[in-house]
Amino acid sequence: MAASGQPAARAVGLSKAYGSGDTAVLALDHVDVEIDGGRFTAIMGPSGSGKSTLMHCLAGLDKPTGGEVWVGDTELSRLGDKALTRLRRDRVGFVFQAFNLLPTLTAEENITLPGDIAGRRTDPAWLRQVVETLNLGDRLRHRPHELSGGQQQRVAVARALAARPQLIFADEPTGNLDSRSGAEVLGFLRRSVDELGQTVVMVTHDPNAASFADLVLFLADGRIVDRLEGPTADAVLERMRRFDVRGGGPVAQPAPDAD
Amino acid sequence: MLKATLRSFLAHKGRLALSMLAVVLSVAFVAGTLMFTDTIGSTFDRLFRSTSADVSITAHNDVAGRNDQNFSGTVPTVPASLIPQVAHIPGVAGVSGRVAMAGIVLTDAKNKDIGAIGGAPTIGINWSPGPNSPVDLTSGVAPSGDGQAVVDADTVSKHHLVLGQQLHVIGATGGFPVRLSGIATFNTTNPGATLVFLDTATAQRKLLGHDGVFTSVDLTAAKGVSNEQLRDRVAPVVGSAYDVKTAEQTAKDAAQTLGTFLSVIKDALLGFAGIAVLVGVSLILNTFSMLVAQRTRELGLMRALGASREQVNRSVLVEAALLGLIGSTLGLFLGVGLALGLIKLIARGGMVLKGSQLAVHWPTVVAAYAVGIIATTVSAYLPARRASRISPMAALREADTPGRGAPLRIRAVVGLVVLAVSAGLLVGAATDKDLGQAGILLGAGVLLSLVGLIIVGPVLATPVIRLVGGWFPRVFGPVGTLSQRNALRNPRRTSATASALMIGLALVASLSVVGSSMAASFDAQIDKTIGADLIVQNSTGLPFPDEVADTVQATPGVGLVVRGQGTRGALVAADGTQDRTVVVGTGPGLDKVVRIEMRSGTVAAGTAPGHAMIGSNYADAHRLHLGSPVTILFQSGKAGTLTVGGIDVTDTNPGGLADEPVVASSTLRQYVPGALDDIVFVNVAPGASKEQVKSALTTALAKDPQVQVRDQTDYKKLVRGQIDLLLNLVYGLLALAIIIAILGVVNTLALSVIERTREIGLLRAIGLGRAQLRRMVRLEAVVIALFGAVLGLGLGLGWGLAAQRLLAAKGLQSLAIPWSTIIAVVIGAAVVGLLAALGPALRASRLDVLDAIAHE
Repeated sequence: MAASGQPAARAVGLSKAYGSGDTAVLALDHVDVEIDGGRFTAIMGPSGSGKSTLMHCLAGLDKPTGGEVWVGDTELSRLGDKALTRLRRDRVGFVFQAFNLLPTLTAEENITLPGDIAGRRTDPAWLRQVVETLNLGDRLRHRPHELSGGQQQRVAVARALAARPQLIFADEPTGNLDSRSGAEVLGFLRRSVDELGQTVVMVTHDPNAASFADLVLFLADGRIVDRLEGPTADAVLERMRRFDVRGGGPVAQPAPDAD
Repeated sequence: MLKATLRSFLAHKGRLALSMLAVVLSVAFVAGTLMFTDTIGSTFDRLFRSTSADVSITAHNDVAGRNDQNFSGTVPTVPASLIPQVAHIPGVAGVSGRVAMAGIVLTDAKNKDIGAIGGAPTIGINWSPGPNSPVDLTSGVAPSGDGQAVVDADTVSKHHLVLGQQLHVIGATGGFPVRLSGIATFNTTNPGATLVFLDTATAQRKLLGHDGVFTSVDLTAAKGVSNEQLRDRVAPVVGSAYDVKTAEQTAKDAAQTLGTFLSVIKDALLGFAGIAVLVGVSLILNTFSMLVAQRTRELGLMRALGASREQVNRSVLVEAALLGLIGSTLGLFLGVGLALGLIKLIARGGMVLKGSQLAVHWPTVVAAYAVGIIATTVSAYLPARRASRISPMAALREADTPGRGAPLRIRAVVGLVVLAVSAGLLVGAATDKDLGQAGILLGAGVLLSLVGLIIVGPVLATPVIRLVGGWFPRVFGPVGTLSQRNALRNPRRTSATASALMIGLALVASLSVVGSSMAASFDAQIDKTIGADLIVQNSTGLPFPDEVADTVQATPGVGLVVRGQGTRGALVAADGTQDRTVVVGTGPGLDKVVRIEMRSGTVAAGTAPGHAMIGSNYADAHRLHLGSPVTILFQSGKAGTLTVGGIDVTDTNPGGLADEPVVASSTLRQYVPGALDDIVFVNVAPGASKEQVKSALTTALAKDPQVQVRDQTDYKKLVRGQIDLLLNLVYGLLALAIIIAILGVVNTLALSVIERTREIGLLRAIGLGRAQLRRMVRLEAVVIALFGAVLGLGLGLGWGLAAQRLLAAKGLQSLAIPWSTIIAVVIGAAVVGLLAALGPALRASRLDVLDAIAHE
């Protein structure tokens, strides 16, 4: 659901501090960022760089301590729990690293769950298209424990797509997968952008994963320190090395399977 | 290791809190019951000791019980002439004659009964102050003449009586007015009796109906003479016609009568406490199973670090024992509160005890700790064993959703076999002719079916929950689906949680079936046997003076009046063996007011003077026919030989008449002079309206508030009311078991919420609202509770049915299923589920989304 002109989401002077006083830790330090609609954006950075916090704030999962967060034309920092819940339900899709699915529901029930919660029927034609795209046709009646890790993540992607959200947030979606399944899931996210016009924001520390994106944002110490358009894995790796030397921060672990 | 155990115990104290509460409640019930009954016992012991004379002389009587003044209003007496005979015996420091007559009535000027209530007696006593008197005159003057009475201080303050106030005493010879001349105060606790003191001559004449007799002669021992010595000196003087007892013996005899009654109460209460403990055990077992499952990784780590199986096992058991220890201590304290509460409660029912005299004996303390610690360790045994089997590898494995467990096939087979056997036993109980044997079968069947259903519960969970929660998805959408599936997720856990509720509800259901069958059977029996239009009777069954029947007879519109008396007695067989029974006296016309099925002869012939009507069972056993002589030993101690004039069919006639010999009132009074009526049957005169006569009688009998006029409908209502009261009492006692079962539901839900934290986080992340989440938890609780209710009701109906068939031979011939109670139970269970889910649902909805997603 690409919104042309206006960014799908943006943050203005976004700060997030944990704790208070002397012991306060600034996870995000006046971040300004725009997420373009219809594109695949990756957020990269070493552990503790604030990349997950940024995503959580953008998705309405976490409350910023300063600045503004916009999803479309809605400003989130003043919304209450009910409105945020509705926002997540209706306008945002999620793919987490693990434990994405409810064990008691079948794959199909998991996919239609956000719509069911909202009391909306998922458009059957769209659902068929999503299921076909993700190659899940023969797995719909299975429970999560009967699916492989890659299949489970594909179901999670299908769930995120099924409700046609403005934005999909993926938090290390391939972190728990072997490289082949990981590539498969990333390929589907890519296709959802190219073929279905979806907007995807992905947090990762895997340069290979980041190479599927249109744009990579690099985060360190709570600030956006760099951006890379049309990345390749090597280019991402190169930037990270450079940035490590320059920033003197902890060396990013480019291991694809790292937790 | 012990340190690790203690740490773990403290770390999980929140999760153990509800198990602890279950222990506390069960132990409190046990301890409270023991303290309560001990307090009753000790209060009465003190009372009996303080009211017993050093040595007392009473008439010896084999037939009438010593304290049996409730029958016929006559009582064995001792002539006053005995006093000078014993007064000169060395060692006698004082002699006094005592008149004490229970079952009198005290009313105020408006004919309102102000005597004792709730089974406590109203006793008329002659005023004889002495060193051993249990009361002191604290106000006014001693009674003198037949117009004065002293009343005990408790009654005076309860009814705000003032000196000089006009009162009315109704004794064996009828009612008479008195003025309150003084107030007497007990020097021990008076547990609720109302005492009316009259001067000796008035007491003899009005209460016993004779001058110059006493109910006992009381002796005071001189200094240096023991009660035993005095008794041994007095006994030979008075001879075998009298019983001579020391104060200790008198108190012991009295305590024995009370003890039997008390032990029935105690056993009943402890039975309910036992049910509560059983439910508590299942709750604790469930809690520890869940905790062990949730701590698989932690326990695996301990094993990996070198803890032995025994150590892991022991650590769980020690944790349980600790829980039991603390729970028992708290339970003991709560038990004190409970006992004090019970004391307050029965004070309203008429039995006054003093909280400050609460009896806490050491066996109570031992029992409390034994119950608490044994219950917890026994219920933790299985989870502990499971914990010790956790492999060290578990520490390394990804924590999976615990508790899918082994397949349920073996469980299904074993459970069904047990259920089949128990069904056989219940059918056996329902069809067995031998009542004792059927009772044993019933007990075994009840127990085994309970065990069987608990075993097979997890297997039934899936189909039953699909049934009771099948409509949830349609009504509540995905929240309904999720809650139903969550309940089905771990059938063992769901079923263990539900079975606690099942036990309580099964008892409620079965007892309500028996109760309503009793009411229905009684209705049917009244319709079948009672022919009288109206019956005048004291609702406690006590006899009343002749003036009542005279008043009835004189009321306009009254037709046939038949008066009945009941006295103690015995049927004496040819070989001298005695069968103790009640001997019933009746005026002419009994067959016009009671429908009696006769084997031979007629009611009229059987109740003609000098004749007797006996039951067919006795007649068969002793080969008696019409015209045979039959010897009856009467309450007075006199025996008479009468002629069998009628034989009624024992098995089909109402219990009160079938087994008992019936004679003419005039014959009865030959042997038991002064026997009072305890029932008056009335048929209205032709042309008179029953309603009008009833209200006329009620008005005419206003001065005798102890008797009521009832028609058949009133009787049915009365019995129904009594059955309902009993049922409500039992439901009240079962409430504790049900409360513990609710705690179990709360506990399971709370632990499930903890276990499913990540899932809840996910649901919240993808847009489930807080209210929807709360509803999901609530619906899961409702489903579990309904599952318990369905099993419980099924089980309880089975038990009730078997019990009704079993008791059919004893008169419980009609089966009535109390549908309203059953529907109430189902609705109640759903409400219980909602209540149980309040806390866990709130907790789940308050989880922070991000924390929850990141939760391990």
